[in-house]
Amino acid sequence: MEIKEEIMIGNQAIARGFIEAGIELAAAYPGTPSSEILPGIVDFKRREKLNIHTEWSTNELCAFEVAFGAAAYGGRKSACFMKQVGLNVAFPALLRSREKAITGGFVIVSCDDPGPQSSQTEQDSRLIAALFGMTVFDPASPREAADVAYYAMNYSFENKVPVIIRSTHRVSHARESVPLYSPGTRKTFLYEGRLAGKGTKLGIVASGMSYSLVRDVVEEFAAGDFVSIYKVLRVYPYDEGLAAFVGSMDRVLVVEETDRVIEALLGDRGKVMGRGDGTVPSAGEITYDIARDIIGKVLGQLGAVKKTFTPDLSIESALSDVAVIPRPPKLCAGCPHRASFFAMQYLWPEAFYPGDIGCYTLGISQGAVDTCLDMGAGVTIAGGFHDAFSQDGRLVPILASVGDSTFLHACLPPLYDAVQNGKKFTLVIMDNSTTAMTGMQPTPQTGVTIDGKKTRSVAIEEVVKGLGVSFLEIVDPYDVPLMIRTIKRSFEYLKGDKAVPAVIIARRECLLLKKGAPKDTAYPAEIERDCIGCKSCLKTFDCPAMIFQEETKKIRIDDSLCTNCGMCYYACPVQAQGKALKKLKAQAGPSEQTKSPDANGKGRGRSRKKN
Amino acid sequence: MKLEIVCAGVGGRGVLLASTVLIEAAIASGQKAVASDEYGMSQRGGSVVSLVKIGDCASPFIGRENAHILMAFEESEFYKTLFFLKEGGIAFVNTGKKILPGSVQDLLKKRKIVHHLVDADGIARNEGMIQSANMAMLGYLAFSNIPPFSEKQLKDTIRARVPEKFLSKNLAVFQKGFDEAGTGKVGW
Repeated sequence: MEIKEEIMIGNQAIARGFIEAGIELAAAYPGTPSSEILPGIVDFKRREKLNIHTEWSTNELCAFEVAFGAAAYGGRKSACFMKQVGLNVAFPALLRSREKAITGGFVIVSCDDPGPQSSQTEQDSRLIAALFGMTVFDPASPREAADVAYYAMNYSFENKVPVIIRSTHRVSHARESVPLYSPGTRKTFLYEGRLAGKGTKLGIVASGMSYSLVRDVVEEFAAGDFVSIYKVLRVYPYDEGLAAFVGSMDRVLVVEETDRVIEALLGDRGKVMGRGDGTVPSAGEITYDIARDIIGKVLGQLGAVKKTFTPDLSIESALSDVAVIPRPPKLCAGCPHRASFFAMQYLWPEAFYPGDIGCYTLGISQGAVDTCLDMGAGVTIAGGFHDAFSQDGRLVPILASVGDSTFLHACLPPLYDAVQNGKKFTLVIMDNSTTAMTGMQPTPQTGVTIDGKKTRSVAIEEVVKGLGVSFLEIVDPYDVPLMIRTIKRSFEYLKGDKAVPAVIIARRECLLLKKGAPKDTAYPAEIERDCIGCKSCLKTFDCPAMIFQEETKKIRIDDSLCTNCGMCYYACPVQAQGKALKKLKAQAGPSEQTKSPDANGKGRGRSRKKN
Repeated sequence: MKLEIVCAGVGGRGVLLASTVLIEAAIASGQKAVASDEYGMSQRGGSVVSLVKIGDCASPFIGRENAHILMAFEESEFYKTLFFLKEGGIAFVNTGKKILPGSVQDLLKKRKIVHHLVDADGIARNEGMIQSANMAMLGYLAFSNIPPFSEKQLKDTIRARVPEKFLSKNLAVFQKGFDEAGTGKVGW
C-alpha cells in the first residue's frame, strides 16, 4: 500500500501522531511555538470524522487539569499543549500528577523557545521532567515528532504514567513531508543510540534538533572517522546504551538545548564537555554557526581536523557603508495598542509602566512599558510599586497595561488583591478581541470555541466590576484626546482615600482580525507634508510605516503598510500637524504640561522643545 | 544532491509562500526537502527569513557562507542575509536598481557570486498584482533551470498551491519574471 505524505510543520505532525494514536481530548492555551498543535488536532479530526473534545482553555493550568481529569479519572487518551513558560503555570498540577495513576493516556507537549525568539526567557522542559522524574521525549524533526506523539500516547496508556514531549521552535515550525496512516496503524521509526560516525576519539551526544544539527556539521567537517554521534530520544530516563557509549569514547561532547540535562545526568566532569566547562555557550539557541564553532574548536584541540571554518569578514566590511532598513519588531501599522501607548506616555512621561506578555510588550519602544516578568505580573508589580511609595505617604503615577487574553489568563487574582488592599494605580486593559501575538486565537470574551461554535462570552467589564473596581471606563484608543482625559481623570480618582485600582478598557479590534484598513478612521494624516525632520514621531509613535529618509531628512510614509489610521496626526509636534498636539496639551491640563521635559532620560523620548 | 537556499524578505510579502513552493517542487521531483522559518516577533513589515534545504541533510539549519542560492525579496534584507551565501553562489535580488553599490559589487566579484537584479515589484505592479512579486522572483529562478527547479515543476507546484482566484495573475507574473530573465539582462 502506498503511504500518503503531506508537507506540514512540526506542530501539525505532532497533532497527526496523536490523532493516529486515538486521542480523545485535547486542551491548550496558545503560546509560541506551540500554538498550531491544537488547530492541527481540530483539522485532522474533521478530516477523519472523529469524535474528539478540543478546547482553548483560559490558561495552561486549566488545560493541564482538564486533560489530566479526562486521563486519570475518565480513562481517556488526552493531551495538553503549551509553551515552555506555560508549563510553569501548570506546575502545581504537573508535580502532583506524576504520583497519580492514569487510567487512560496522558501526554503533555511543552514547546521550548531557545534563543528565546518570542518568550521572556529560555527554559528547558526536559530539565523539569528530569528533575522530577518524569518521562520525556525530545524529537529531532517534524517527521519524528509525529512518530513520538503516537508512541508517547501509547506509552502513557500502557505504563499508566504521564509523559512529556518537549519540542523546540525549530521542530515545531520546520516544514517537511510527513507520512499519514489510518488511525491506529502508524508505523513509527524512533531512532536512538549510536547513529553516525565510526570514531572513538570523540563521542558527541545530542538530543532533539541539536542532534540533527550536529549530524550536518560533522558531515561538513568530514570528521566521521574520528567522531561518533549518539542520539538521545528519551532524555529521561535515558537508555543504558548511553552510559556504555560514553564509556567507550576518549572524550565526550554534549550538545543540547537549552540547559544542562543529559550532561548533568551523565555527571562525568572529567570526560564530558558541554555547557558546564564553557565548551558550549551557557545560553542562547545553538545555530548552525555556533555548532560549527563548538565542534570545530573541539576537533581542532583534539587534532582531528587541520582547518576549521574561518568566516570571510570582508562581507561585513563591504556592507558597512550600505544603508539598510533595520526593521526591528514593531506593532503593526494602525495597531490600536500604539495609540493607547501614545496617550499613556504623552500624559505621564515620568510614570511607572508595569507591562505584560503579548504584542503590547512592544510598547517598550514608545516608553510605555517598563517591566515584563510573566503573565499577569504587570498588575501585581503595579501593586508592589504602589506599596513601596505609599509607605512614605507618596502617591506616584503608575500606569499598568495588559491585553484582554492575558487579563483573563492571569490577572483576576492580582486585580482582586489590589482592590482588597486599596492599591492605587491605573490599569489599561488593551482589549483587541483576540490573542494576536500567537495567531488570533479567540479569548473567553470572544464567545467562540475552537470548533467555531458560539458559546457564552465573558465580558471583561463585568469581571472587573465584579472584582470591586469602581472607576471603570471603556474608551476607543483611536480617540486619543478622550484616552488622555480619561487617564487624567483616573489619577484624580486615585487621590481619594477610598480609591482602589482604576481600570480603563481600551477597546478596538485587532487590525489583523479586520483584514484590511479600518473603515472608521479619523482621517489620513499628512505627516509628510510639513515634516522638519525632528524625528519626534519615530520615538513617540514608532510606526513601521514611518521611514526616515536620509536623502531628504524627512519622514516618508510607506503606503504599502500605512492603514490610514490617522493616529500619527497627534504624534507630530510641528507646523500644521502640531495643532493636534496643542489641543492635546490643553486637554492634559497645566500640571502635566509643565512637568520637566526629558532632560535626563526619564521622559524617554518625548521631544518637548517645540512647545 | 544538496542544495541550500535562503529566502529573505519582509513579512506579508509572500516569502513563506515562495519557500513553500520551493520545497513542494523539490519533493514533487523526488527529493527530500525541509524548510525552517525565522520570523520571531515580527508582524506585518518585519524581517522574514526562510531556510530551504534540499537533498541529503538532517537539519533545516543553514550556516554562514554555506547557501548555494539567496533569494532576496527586498534589497535591505539582501544585505542582511548575504553572509549566508557561499563563494560561487547565486543571488536573486528584488530591486528597482540597475546596479548595486560599488563595495557590494566588488565583494560579489571577489566571492564569485553571480547576482541577478530583478525588478520583481515593477513586474508585479505592471500586472496589477503588487503582492505577487514573489512569483516574478520564482519565474526568474525558473529561467536559470537549477535542478530540481524546472519551469514546468515550479509552475505545476504554483498551480497546486495558489488559490484559483489569484492563479492566472500569479502565473502571468511568473511568466513575466521568466521572460525578463530571458532578455539577458543578468548580473556581471
